[in-house]
Amino acid sequence: MKLALESIRACLDGAIPAVVATAAADGTPNVAYASQVHYVDSEHVALSFQFFSKTRENVLAHPYAEVQVIEPVSFRHFRLRVQYLRTETEGPLFEYMKAQLAGIAARSGMDKVFALKGADVYRVHAIECVDAQAPATPQPDALLKLRRTLDHLGACDDLAQLADRALAALAHGFGIRHALFAMLDAAPGASGVALYTLASLGYPASGVGAEVAMGEGLIGVAARERIPVRINYHTGDYTYHAALQVADPASPRIPLPVLAHPNSQIAVPLTHGARLLGVLYAESEQNAFFSHADEDALVVYGRHLGALLARLATLPDDESVAPAPPGETPHGTPLVVRYFAHDHSVFVDNDYLIKGVAGSILWTLLNEHQRSGRRDFCNRELRRDPRLPLPDFADNLETRLILLARRLAERCPDIALEKTGRGRFRLSLTRPLALHAA
Amino acid sequence: MPLTLTPDQVAFLQGPLSMNVGAVGRDGWPCVTRAQGLAVARDRRSLTVLLAAARSRAVLDALDAGSAFTLVASRPQTHATLQLKAARAERVPVTAAHRAVSARCVAAFALELETLGYARDLQPTLASILPTNDLVALRFVPAVVFDQTPGPRAGTVLARA
Repeated sequence: MKLALESIRACLDGAIPAVVATAAADGTPNVAYASQVHYVDSEHVALSFQFFSKTRENVLAHPYAEVQVIEPVSFRHFRLRVQYLRTETEGPLFEYMKAQLAGIAARSGMDKVFALKGADVYRVHAIECVDAQAPATPQPDALLKLRRTLDHLGACDDLAQLADRALAALAHGFGIRHALFAMLDAAPGASGVALYTLASLGYPASGVGAEVAMGEGLIGVAARERIPVRINYHTGDYTYHAALQVADPASPRIPLPVLAHPNSQIAVPLTHGARLLGVLYAESEQNAFFSHADEDALVVYGRHLGALLARLATLPDDESVAPAPPGETPHGTPLVVRYFAHDHSVFVDNDYLIKGVAGSILWTLLNEHQRSGRRDFCNRELRRDPRLPLPDFADNLETRLILLARRLAERCPDIALEKTGRGRFRLSLTRPLALHAA
Repeated sequence: MPLTLTPDQVAFLQGPLSMNVGAVGRDGWPCVTRAQGLAVARDRRSLTVLLAAARSRAVLDALDAGSAFTLVASRPQTHATLQLKAARAERVPVTAAHRAVSARCVAAFALELETLGYARDLQPTLASILPTNDLVALRFVPAVVFDQTPGPRAGTVLARA
C-alpha cells in the first residue's frame, strides 16, 4: 500500500533528528542530520537551510536525496525519496519553520547555533516504512476533540460570551488549560494595527486588554502571516514568546498573562473568508502537547469562530431599552480620573486603567454623565460621536466596549458598564467623579 | 598514506552513538540506513560497521554495485558528529563478536536516548527494531574524516588519507 505523507506527520515535528543522504557530482554519498523536516502538503516537505552545508551544495548540483525520519515512541523509521525544488526565504512557510526551529533548537540546546536562512522545498516521490512489522504509535483523535469542543461551544449571540465559551470549550475538547482569545484592531492607532486580548483561560491575571502588535511574538506572526504556528518545545528565543513582554515605563501596557516557560505553544488565526478577525492562542507546560492533527482541528475551529464573529457583527442593535432604574447616588471620596489626550490613556486614582479608543470612550461617557446625568448609552451614538477616534469602517466598537467593561470590573469596580441589550449599555457609579484632562 | 584515526576519534566511535550509512544507488539516487554497531580495528585504519540486512537492502545493493560509502556517527547528548567516507565497503562474515558489539551499541544508544528524555523503556523497542540475528558486516578503510557537528564548522576535514 502506498504510504501518504499525512500518515507520517508525527515524524515531522522535530522530536527526533532526521538524516538526509545526498550525492556529490562525482557520486560520493553524504549523510547529514537535519534538525527540521517540515510537512508542507501531501506531496512536499521542506528542510531547514541553516548553513551552507555539503547537503546544500550537493542538492544544488544533483537534486535527489533520501530523508530518513523516525516516529516518536515507536521509533519506526521511514525513508522518503525526495527531489529538491526551490528555497523560500520569506513568506508563511519560512515564518512557520523559523518559529518551529526556535523550539527545536532550544530543545536540543542548539539555540545559539540554529538560525533559519531558508526553507528548502522538496517533492516527495516515495515513502518507505522501514519497520513495517513494528507496532505504530497510536495517534490522538483530533476530530473527536473538535466535535466535543463544538458541542460545548453551543450557540452564542454575544461577543463576550463567545470569547469566554470559545476558550472554555477548548478545555473540554482538547484538555487545553491555558489560552487567549485576541481580537484584531484593524484601525491603525498610535501603536499601529494590533490585537487585543478579549478573554483568557487559566491565568492568575486575565490580561484583558493586553495588546500584541502585528508580527510580534507567536500571536503576531500567526496574525501577520495568517497561518497557524505551532512550537513543540520551550524556546529561549524571545521572538517566539506569545508576545514581547516589554515593560516600557513611558508607555503603559497591560501585560499578557501567558506562562513564563511554555513547552508547547500554538497560535491559530480566526478568519472569515479572506478577513482576519483575531487569533486563538493556547499553550501548555508539556512538551509536544499539540500534534499536527490538533493543529488541523484548531484551524477548523478558528474558521468556525471567525464565521460566528462575522455573523455577530451583522446582527442589528436593539431599538429601545427599559429606562434605567433609579440607582444609588454615588457617595464617598471622589474617584480621580485623569485623561491624557495624546494616547487617550485613562488613570483612576493614579493607576493606569486603559488607553486608545477604549480610553477615549470611557472619558466621553464619564463627561457625558457628569454633564447630563445620563446613564444609558447605545453603540450607534458612539459611532457618530466626533470626539471618538473611531474609524469609518470595521470600528470593533463592541470589542472595545467589552475590553473596557472587563478592565473596569478588574481594576475599578466603582465604575461599571453593564450590557442592557444588543448595542446598548448602562454606566453605573458607586463613587462621585473628579475628572481632569491633562 | 593510509589514514589512522586518533585515539580520541576511536574513543568517540566506541561511545553511545546514532549511526547511519549512506551510498548512491544504481539509479543515482542516494540512500541511507541506520547502522547498529561499529568496531574499530586495532591499527585504527579500518572499521567494521553492522547493519540489519532486511532494513538496508537499497544501501547494500548500491554498495554491491560499487558505490562509495559514508558513515555518520553522532552522540545524541553532545551532538558531536563525525562523518567517515570511503571509496568502497566490503562485506565480511558476521561473527559472534559482531553480534555482541551490535547488542551493546543498540543498548548504549537506547540508554543515551532514555537519559535525554526521548522515551522510557526504549531498550526493548530498539532491540526489536534493530535485531542481531539479521546482521551484515561491512569493512571499510576511511579516506576522509569530517567534523560534522552541527554549526558553521560542520564539514571541516579532520584527516585525509
